Amino acid sequence: MTVENEGGLLEAIKDRYLEKLSPEIFRSRLFWKTVEGLARSPLNRPQWKADRISLTHFIRVTRDAYLGKAPVVWCNLLVPSELIHGLGCLPFYPEMAAAVTASAGLAPRFIDRAVEEGFSSDACSYHRCLLGCAVEGFLPKPDLLLSVNYPCDSAVLSFAFLSELYGVPHLEVDVPLPGREEELPLLAEQLEEAASLMAGISGRRREEMMQGLAKAIELSNRALEHLRRVEEMRKRDDCVLDGKDAMGNLSVLAGCMGSEAGVEFYRLLAEELEERGCRGPQSLRLMWMHLKPWYAQSIFHILEKYDARLVCEEYTHATWEPMDPGDPFTSLALKLESHFLVGPAERRAAHLARLAGEYRVDGAIHFNHWGCRQSCGGAPLVKKALQDRGVPVLIIDGDCVDQREYQEGQISTRLEAFLESLG
Amino acid sequence: MDEREISWFCAYTPVELLAATGFRPVRRFGDPHGLEAADTFLHPALCPYVRACLAEALNGDAPRHAVFVNCCDGMRRLHDAWRDLFPESFSFLLDLPRHTEGRGREILKLEFRRLLRALEEYAGLCVEAEDLRRACRESSELRLSYIRAAEGKTGAARVELAQEAQGYRIPLEGEGHRGEEGGVPVLLTGNLLNPRGLVAFLERAGARVVWADLCNGDRPFTAEAPVEGEDVPRMLESLAALYLERHPCARMGDGDRRYRLLSERFKSCGARGVIYASLKFCDSYLYDFPRLEMRLRREGIPVLRLESDYADGHAGQLLTRVEAFLEMIAGD
Repeated sequence: MTVENEGGLLEAIKDRYLEKLSPEIFRSRLFWKTVEGLARSPLNRPQWKADRISLTHFIRVTRDAYLGKAPVVWCNLLVPSELIHGLGCLPFYPEMAAAVTASAGLAPRFIDRAVEEGFSSDACSYHRCLLGCAVEGFLPKPDLLLSVNYPCDSAVLSFAFLSELYGVPHLEVDVPLPGREEELPLLAEQLEEAASLMAGISGRRREEMMQGLAKAIELSNRALEHLRRVEEMRKRDDCVLDGKDAMGNLSVLAGCMGSEAGVEFYRLLAEELEERGCRGPQSLRLMWMHLKPWYAQSIFHILEKYDARLVCEEYTHATWEPMDPGDPFTSLALKLESHFLVGPAERRAAHLARLAGEYRVDGAIHFNHWGCRQSCGGAPLVKKALQDRGVPVLIIDGDCVDQREYQEGQISTRLEAFLESLG
Repeated sequence: MDEREISWFCAYTPVELLAATGFRPVRRFGDPHGLEAADTFLHPALCPYVRACLAEALNGDAPRHAVFVNCCDGMRRLHDAWRDLFPESFSFLLDLPRHTEGRGREILKLEFRRLLRALEEYAGLCVEAEDLRRACRESSELRLSYIRAAEGKTGAARVELAQEAQGYRIPLEGEGHRGEEGGVPVLLTGNLLNPRGLVAFLERAGARVVWADLCNGDRPFTAEAPVEGEDVPRMLESLAALYLERHPCARMGDGDRRYRLLSERFKSCGARGVIYASLKFCDSYLYDFPRLEMRLRREGIPVLRLESDYADGHAGQLLTRVEAFLEMIAGD
């Protein structure tokens, strides 16, 4: 729900600014005042109270990044945000920026720009989009690029190009394969090196760095507690939070852990879930794998037509244990290493099979995002693992970011046939 | 099928460890014309080399024991599918750091040790320092034999020779076809190319490939340092350094070094231009090209970008572009 900003906020911003869209707009204080005003106005009616928290957080962080109020660290999806918040830097997740661009319907222009630059149309459209945005100067200038080698190769590789484009360092963190306990200290060392680099940029002494990280980890642990409550409530038959909305919470899980906003977001969501909702146990319970097309809602209208709802989705669940604020680097190394996308696809398949069981799903949909060797590549194994447990699986080929690659008719026909088969 | 044979796929596989444990390491090149056989297990938008290797194994034409390198998404997916399909065989996924200096060497050394233990356990033996030393010496001799035999060879003949050496067959000097005479000298860089496909086509189009910066070409033979050490742990450390010393694949983290080495090689091998050709869906090379192109152009080195689907049935369509490029660099 965070990425698309339900309530027409993006539409309102587009109405005012699309004509004069330029890199300079994003660096003007007036623009951000307008955005903040619109976010507070009745034009923005979030479905959940928590959405207002995440929206305010992301607007503030993004505004500050464009206006250069603190050092900006670009991160790929699995970089633990505690590390960035704890050092007083601003995390910027360009893959999420690509999703926002796609939900505003603006991705094709930037994708084409990246192709003009020499990037192949066989590369992931999240990355082509963000590369196009960067080349055109639309993104906030980074002080540091920080990537980890999962979930996919694309981020590490596109960050290498961006490092040259912006003339800033790119730190690549190698996360070892699962089960390599003796390599965990080496991962912790790499995270410490990243933290020291950020401390240098933000002018923090080591003592301040350790204090900042301890606080970020405490906040992350508190957010995790509330997230676990949310997860428990979502397992109930009567939970009203639909996965099509919850999928956007990935941005909170990736970017807000270690901040006050992360705690507040999950606290409010858990509270509101307790207050709201009896949907009734009758609907079909589905799981969504990989991500959704950010620009199109029609796929979800079909689910509604068949009284099916998404009770869980692949990316929005906690995959780590509470961390030790006194030992931030080992804690964050363990958090990273425990992610189901680190290592062979059998780990991902096991995660999805566990979710399917805990959330008692009747079926599962895998959205094969074009160019994603990680998700498409692992789909056959995931399908087999779920089918072995009696969960029917539909694999849909599409593109999360480039709306020109969305075959609506074909997708509808296949989805309807699948839902009918589930009865 | 010979139970002592073991398949490997990535040029960062430490074949010395496989040989020291009594296996015969065989680099697989797959069946470029039968990729569809792998479609049930691997998405068609994955690297055709990876799909070709799985297709070959499904047809029963490859040793089922296998060592994979965690070098890219494609290779990880090959490992996933292979393990699922052939659970009774030995398989190992070796981690490969992106860092090539201190910490990278440390990680790779630990990985080599882990692989060695797994092989020892499977083979039911214990590798002594002398076993490993012998395997390293053989590997070094193989490398020198390749360098001698490759002298003066170009194009498909050169790449096929490299493939033979990767299959643990010692190439003989002066043996076989030497490559087309004449032609415009070019440096070919990329991931892995079919010598009988795109590489042979380039020769027919008038290019003389004098250096094949490919993982099935010259690249695996570029590190010179001998493996040293009195015991197995020290030799593993030295071996890890050796592998990271080679001219790097675009997947590795040290892009600057890769460009510098490529530029130096371009100047020393007498090429007049660079042909950058890579297999479809290989992200490491898809993202690398714009940066490399920028640098080469800055140095005034002409570059042509081509793509391969491994079978290369479409290569004829590239003729006009290749000829135009060769004409341009020949006239410089």
